[in-house]
Amino acid sequence: MILYDAHHLAPCYAVRLLAGCLGATLDLKPLDVYPGHANQTEAFLALNPLGTLPVLVDGPCLITDWLEALAHLALTHDRAWFPAEHAALIGWLGMARDLGASAGAARLIDTFGAPGDAAAARAQANALLDEVERRMWFGERIGQDWLIEGPHPSIADLACFVFIAPCEDGGLSLRDRPALRRWCDRVRFLPGFVSMSGVFPPMANTGR
Amino acid sequence: MNGLQAGVWYAIAAEHDLPKDHVYRTMLGGHELAAWRSTDGGVHVWEDRCPHRGVRFSLGEVVGDELRCQYHAWRFGKTGACTFIPAQPDLKVPRTIHAAVWPVALSAGLVWSGIEPIGAPPALPPGAVLRAIPIARPAASVAHALVKEPLAGLALVLQPLDETATIVRGIALDDDLVRADHALLALRRRLEQAA
Ligand code: FES
Repeated sequence: MILYDAHHLAPCYAVRLLAGCLGATLDLKPLDVYPGHANQTEAFLALNPLGTLPVLVDGPCLITDWLEALAHLALTHDRAWFPAEHAALIGWLGMARDLGASAGAARLIDTFGAPGDAAAARAQANALLDEVERRMWFGERIGQDWLIEGPHPSIADLACFVFIAPCEDGGLSLRDRPALRRWCDRVRFLPGFVSMSGVFPPMANTGR
Repeated sequence: MNGLQAGVWYAIAAEHDLPKDHVYRTMLGGHELAAWRSTDGGVHVWEDRCPHRGVRFSLGEVVGDELRCQYHAWRFGKTGACTFIPAQPDLKVPRTIHAAVWPVALSAGLVWSGIEPIGAPPALPPGAVLRAIPIARPAASVAHALVKEPLAGLALVLQPLDETATIVRGIALDDDLVRADHALLALRRRLEQAA
C-alpha cells in the first residue's frame, strides 16, 4: 500500500496511526505541502484532482478521502476498528470532519500560515470540544473508554484524536477538558501508536 | 488576588479525574497545577512546572510511584524530590531539586488544595460528584449568581481559575447527573451571554 503523505497534516497522520495500530505496512511517499505546494503539481493532480492529502493506493484501489482510507484499512485488516452495527460510527466520523474544519483549520492557520479565519475556527472548535468532552465524561461513568460503545477503539477515535491531541497548536486548550485528556492518554497507550509533531508519544522504557 | 484566598481549601478535581498512570492538569488562582495518583492511592498536587527547565509536568507520565518529566525524563517521587536524572545516572541528586508541592485533602469525592489551607475542607452532603463546568466569568460573579438564584438539589463549590474564569464543581444530592449537567450548562450560558 502506498500512502501519499504529509507528516504534519492530521488526516495523513490518522492513516499512519491506524496502520500502526493494525500493524500494516505503508510505503510512504512524503510530499512537501507547506511551503512546497507539492500537492499542486500536475503529477499529483493527475492522481487526485482535488489536490488533497492523503491519497492511499492499494492495488487497483485509489482512495483520496482520508476517512474512506481509514475505513478501507480497517475493513481489509481488522473489522473491530469499523463497528458498522453502530449508527454512532457515522456521527463520530462526521464529528471528526467537523473537528478538521475547525480545530484542524486553527492549527494550520497558526502553525503553517494557512489562510482562514482563526477566531471563527476556534469558536466552532470550542463548541465541538465541549460536546465531545461532555459525551466522553458521561461515557466514562458507564465504563466506556472509547467514543463508540464496546471494548475496542474504532477508526472514529483515531479520526477525532488527530485533531484533538494537537489542538493546543491551534490556540485551543484541553486543560479544562479532563475526560478528553484521559481519552488522549488511552489512545497514546494503544499498541502500535505512532506520533506526529504536537502529539507526545508515550515515553520509552516505561515498563508497561 | 485572582480570587484566591489564603487559608481556604478549593476543590481542584474530582477523585475520578485521577485514574492511575495519568497526570491531571488544572489551574487555581492563576497557578498552573498538575495532580497524579501514586500506587498507594495517594494524590499529589504540584505546581505544573518541572524545576529543570520549566516544562509542564502534565505533559509527563506517571511511572509507578514517580512522575517523569516529558522533556529530559527527570523523575520525581511522592515527596516532590527529584530521584533520578538520566543524563547523570550516577549522580546522587541534590535535595534542592524539588517540585513545588501543594497541600492536598480528599473529601466528598473531590480533591482539594489551596494556599496554606486551614482545618478540613468544607463538608458537602452525600450524593454524586458532578461533571465540572468551566465558566468564563470571575468567581465572584458566579458566586453572586448562585446566591441570587440557587440551583436546587446541588451543593456547589467554586474553583477560581484566574481573574476571568471559574470552574463549578460539586454534588448532585439526588444523584441525577444529567439533570445537574443541564442546570450547570444553562447557568454557564446565562452568565457568559450576560457578560
Ligand atoms: S524540563 Fe523537566 S526534565 Fe528537563
